[in-house]
Amino acid sequence: MNLDDRVVLVTGGAKGIGRAICLALAGSGASVAGTYRSSRAEAEDLVRQIEAAGGKAVALAGDVSDAGDAASVVARTIAALGGLHVLVNNAGIVKDVLIFNMEPADWQSVMNVNFGGVFNGTKAVLDHFMAQREGAIINISSVMGERGWIGQANYSASKGAINAFTRSAAVELARFGIRVNAVLPGFAPTEMVSGLIDKGGKGIKRQLPLRRFASVEDVAALTTFLASPDSAYITGACLPVDGGGSAQLGLGRPE
Amino acid sequence: MANEEFFPQVREAVAEALGLDEDEVTAGATLLDELGAESIDLLDMLFRLERTTGVKIQAADLADYVQGGIPDEEFGDEELDVIKPAGMSQLKTVMPQLADMDLDGKLQPEKVMSYFTVQNLVDLVASRAATVSS
Repeated sequence: MNLDDRVVLVTGGAKGIGRAICLALAGSGASVAGTYRSSRAEAEDLVRQIEAAGGKAVALAGDVSDAGDAASVVARTIAALGGLHVLVNNAGIVKDVLIFNMEPADWQSVMNVNFGGVFNGTKAVLDHFMAQREGAIINISSVMGERGWIGQANYSASKGAINAFTRSAAVELARFGIRVNAVLPGFAPTEMVSGLIDKGGKGIKRQLPLRRFASVEDVAALTTFLASPDSAYITGACLPVDGGGSAQLGLGRPE
Repeated sequence: MANEEFFPQVREAVAEALGLDEDEVTAGATLLDELGAESIDLLDMLFRLERTTGVKIQAADLADYVQGGIPDEEFGDEELDVIKPAGMSQLKTVMPQLADMDLDGKLQPEKVMSYFTVQNLVDLVASRAATVSS
């Protein structure tokens, strides 16, 4: 997949899945802007890594749960890299807690970063994308947006909102040459879900048809495809990268 | 026709945004009522025009252009739900076709845009182009 001359902006690009996405997109020829909120060292390290491989990248501080910050990182990307063609709304957090013990702030903060980040990022690129009649938006969601998990009602709701928003945005923006899709990772061992994986990793893995966790590169590969012209006819899709986990009923076998 | 140098671009933008043949887009056709444009279609037209003419018009500018800077309370009578004389004379400068339509004292504010024609959009683009180049 060739992304030469394309400029991409990846929110939450310093760590985990976002970092893998930055590396994959840069590897396909794109110039990459990655945003970070607190992980400045990791973000700058990523830029050096991409530059060492002959690519072009910048790290931008910004909190995409804030609409002003989102607009600012979009403007800074265009100024630094000379354009913008692809937005990857990746920034996300978890705050796992049982609903019984959940405070309003527990779901509001998760909603503000996860869904708010998608909304703010999308809104921030529209004027530019609509004027050039070209753009791809990829929302990094989760299979949790389509299924449930104990302790993740807030996260699950935020991802469900992203999936619904993805479909509506795709319908509304198609005529402007903008495609909008979502990537729904299953269990990908990153810092964000390390607690879950450490605690129940073996039991979860046994239940997955492909019998392994997603690698961050698996998620980045689909994202790269959705960013490229190879996916020109795909919009409004919420595509799982979950080893078949959400395809099965129960364990897919008696025990 | 006034400002006819912009008519081809406007006709093309309107036709493409609405999925019409260009010959269906006449200067006198009203965008909303006769051609069936909705808000997303207007947005589409304005972005297409930005590309072909270099003139950037925000959707919100449309209402401002029509009202011509006249304060709300002088433009329309909220109680009677009708455009006031000062509003009517402003409207006739940007939508001259209203002069022949016997609408004085009868035009409801919410109906104003339904009279907005392809030619009115051509004139708007021309006025913005003049502002940009001056």
